[in-house]
Amino acid sequence: MQIFSTFEHSSYLELAITALEKVGVKKENILAVPLVNRVEERRLFDTLHRADGISLFDKGAAIGTAFSVIGASVGFVLEWGPIFWGLIGAASGFVLGFMIDYIIYKVVHKRTRVVKGKKADVVLVVECPKDLVEKVEELLWEHLALGVAKVEG
Amino acid sequence: MNNFNSTNRERRFKAHVSALGTTQLHLRNPYIIAWWSAAFPGFGHLLLSKYLRGYALFLWEILVNNMANINLAMVYSFTGNIELAKEVLEPRWMLLYIPVYIYAIWDSYRTSVDMNKVFLLAEHENADFNSYTIGAVEVNYLDKRRPIMAIVWSLFTPGLGQLYIHRVLTAIFTMSFIIIFVYFSNLLVATHYLFLGEITQATQVLDPQWLLFIPSHVGFSIYDSYVNTVENNKLYESEQRKFLKEKYQQSRVKIPVTVDEVK
Repeated sequence: MQIFSTFEHSSYLELAITALEKVGVKKENILAVPLVNRVEERRLFDTLHRADGISLFDKGAAIGTAFSVIGASVGFVLEWGPIFWGLIGAASGFVLGFMIDYIIYKVVHKRTRVVKGKKADVVLVVECPKDLVEKVEELLWEHLALGVAKVEG
Repeated sequence: MNNFNSTNRERRFKAHVSALGTTQLHLRNPYIIAWWSAAFPGFGHLLLSKYLRGYALFLWEILVNNMANINLAMVYSFTGNIELAKEVLEPRWMLLYIPVYIYAIWDSYRTSVDMNKVFLLAEHENADFNSYTIGAVEVNYLDKRRPIMAIVWSLFTPGLGQLYIHRVLTAIFTMSFIIIFVYFSNLLVATHYLFLGEITQATQVLDPQWLLFIPSHVGFSIYDSYVNTVENNKLYESEQRKFLKEKYQQSRVKIPVTVDEVK
């Protein structure tokens, strides 16, 4: 039997492989194929499993800091004082920088196809005797496989 | 104990995991690095994991800025008190500021351009590197962490975001200096006044010379911890891909066919 499954990159994947080897699946019968994933639409913030190399955070952090320094300085003569104006400067600078990046990446370099939801990073194929199939499937699910399917072979 | 010893056949490594932190090369925008050096000399170099020069420039900035009253003069200039700004600037120190300030910006820009090239070469070579270390005082390994948590903790206390991703050297430095800045600027006293609704008193109690260090310090801490969390995650994926390709690609999938289907 062949059991196909997909995973995201994480420690769970290696835990799954170790667990399979523990129940008797041989290393030679495990095939792991890391995929080259499609370039997805620019995301506003990178997350645990996704980072697209271009962060919409760079200019926000830079301009936020600059405006915060100016806000805190000018705040000494304004009614609300330096702390509030420093924070207002930081927030408005961040939003401004973020908008600039947003316009550059979303409007200027527009990407059409959107991929939503979880994406598979690795395809894992396990070749195993019939009596192990149930155990293997269970282990794959337990270690957060995104999908599992078996094929008679 | 490490999981890798150099065979001396590698030419360049793209990363190194040690007890004090995960050091890695990755592509950086040289203008952004230059900007952080402009915000606070030393930050650009800290972002590049060049700690000794980063610290040196940072300490230099605090000394010379405080002696020359640069921050105070900035506050007066921004508020239109040019006469007061001229008055507070200390001529015995002021001109010391300029060359090193420009140098920090120039050098961090130049270094990031250079290190981007080194990264591309190291990435192409894709040599094994130390990815795990365990010893008497620390354990460090490649891992995936949440970028948003790095931001949140850095907002609460600059340096905690760095601790979250095991960037110990930046964390100690950033956390020590935020204490000094908060103490001398009276920021927390002013915050108490604000909660009581006494805005004028809050403004009076603040020391502008020390207060102006804080926005850059917090901004840097958030940016550094966020960017490095994202890059550490990418490094984790790249290391895992290499591992899987090396160890788990002997097997091949055979498409099962029955005799009937062949006919």
